[in-house]
Amino acid sequence: MTPKRAVLLCVLIFVLAAPVAAGSVARIVAPLPDGSMGDFEVTLTVTDIPVGGIVETIPDGCAWAGTDHPDDRTRVSGQNVAFAVIGEETIRYRVQGPTEAGEEIAGTWEDLQTGESGVVGSDEPGTSGEAAQTAAPATPGFEWAAALAALAVLCAQRCGR
Amino acid sequence: MTRKLLLIVVCIFFLAGTAAAETVPCDRDGDGTLTASELATAILDSLDARFMGGTVEAPSSADLRDAAFIYEHWDGRALTITDTSGRTTTLSRPLRRIAVFNSDALEMMRSLGLEPDRVVGVSKYVLEDPVFYPEYQGKANLGSIWSPDYEQAAGIRPDAVFLYATLSESSCTEIEETLGSIDPGIRFFRFDSYRPAVYADEVRTLGLLLGKEKEAERFLAFHGNVTNTVAEVVNAIPVDDRVPVYLESWNDYKSAGKGSGYDEKIELAGGRNIFGDNPVEYPVVDPEAVISRNPDVIIKIVGAGETAFGGYGDDDRSSFEPVLRSIGDRPVWNQIKAVRNGRVHIIHTDVIGGPEYFIGTAYLAKWFYPDLFGDLDPRAVHQQYLKEFQQLDYDLDEHGTFVYPA
Repeated sequence: MTPKRAVLLCVLIFVLAAPVAAGSVARIVAPLPDGSMGDFEVTLTVTDIPVGGIVETIPDGCAWAGTDHPDDRTRVSGQNVAFAVIGEETIRYRVQGPTEAGEEIAGTWEDLQTGESGVVGSDEPGTSGEAAQTAAPATPGFEWAAALAALAVLCAQRCGR
Repeated sequence: MTRKLLLIVVCIFFLAGTAAAETVPCDRDGDGTLTASELATAILDSLDARFMGGTVEAPSSADLRDAAFIYEHWDGRALTITDTSGRTTTLSRPLRRIAVFNSDALEMMRSLGLEPDRVVGVSKYVLEDPVFYPEYQGKANLGSIWSPDYEQAAGIRPDAVFLYATLSESSCTEIEETLGSIDPGIRFFRFDSYRPAVYADEVRTLGLLLGKEKEAERFLAFHGNVTNTVAEVVNAIPVDDRVPVYLESWNDYKSAGKGSGYDEKIELAGGRNIFGDNPVEYPVVDPEAVISRNPDVIIKIVGAGETAFGGYGDDDRSSFEPVLRSIGDRPVWNQIKAVRNGRVHIIHTDVIGGPEYFIGTAYLAKWFYPDLFGDLDPRAVHQQYLKEFQQLDYDLDEHGTFVYPA
């Protein structure tokens, strides 16, 4: 094995062996019946995040219509909504606007116990460590992209022999 | 001179920076209790400032993370704990930068699932044992409790230092005094992590201290399953019927006296220490006294001194047989019942002298009463401990020798 290939394999193993985020947040969008407060309801299912935070960004053209999450754990600013998670496993909120717009909601979560963060509704592993604590939302799936890139280079080298 | 100068510089640096508030982070009203509402406000302020363009004064990420820990693990309040030395300490922050001189405590912490990145320094013995402590290789070398490296220990800026409670107390006290004078903010904790009498209490206290309460209970359930199984059988054996045992450390004829750790372990396994009446903790005994007391079982401990072989880092078991043979070859020892009946056993200190003592005790019980402990499988207990609680990929069928004959 050439040194270059060994390094690539190491990168691949290191990246794929990185711990998978224990926490996750899933999002389900469902239309509400006529006469409800709002046109559709968003359900966030929080898994293994005992204490954390979630920020959801509602698409332009939609409007916030309320939540069953406690008032003192919810903050709305423009199209952004922040939820403090302290033991809750489900958060429901309502939105006015076309139900299809629910697919365009973007969100990020943080686990304050582990320092991990991730994208709401993504199965991909979140980032961990201080990076998740300090600045902008994580770049989801970076590790997997790096692993795939390393794999691709390996394959290309093998095919080129 | 250079070392002294460096210590003084480090000391001034720390004294200048020691203004850490002793209050619970994000406790807005300062009443000493972080409520759910206060924590929620802190989380929202942080999210607002970072993701929503808010201008509200938000807590730092470190404060927020510490607050989350304190709320989740310490009911939102500062934690007051008492360690094995009897000292009471109050913490208003979780421990994030731990220095561990006591390698037995490190093993106990690993049983609780402590994240290695919370440990910034370890004893030299941990660094000399890459097979058992692979994840700690590369951490700062603190030296030992007998020869500490103060520059390293201070340089890594620990928030807590773990030392032994009863082993080499004066050395540990000296480390406390020296490091405490350099950085008064360091908290010191004294645990033994190898003494059966305080083992469960230490696991629970460490669990609380490290935010690993559930993990502590899970580990204690495993530990208790083994110790209770042995105790139930042993308790039914009348004291006068218990097997007389001679235990010898790695130094020939150095045994265990009254109140020593090995004396306690023999008793837990249902044996009767033939030198249990000796007031010296680890007496050097007369070979003829062993012959006259005629033990049914002889236990020889290896793994240090002249018998520094076996254990986790050594797959070669060839050194065990000569040791076993030499015991039987001692003058007139062939008259001793244990030798005549082939009841001489060698056990490695790794499984009897430290946090794994309960594995060794299970071996002893099986050797003392093979008919009563037919279902007890110490090897399986050992393998489960390594896999589930030490997270080690270590196959006992392929590596290490811990008892002989197997």
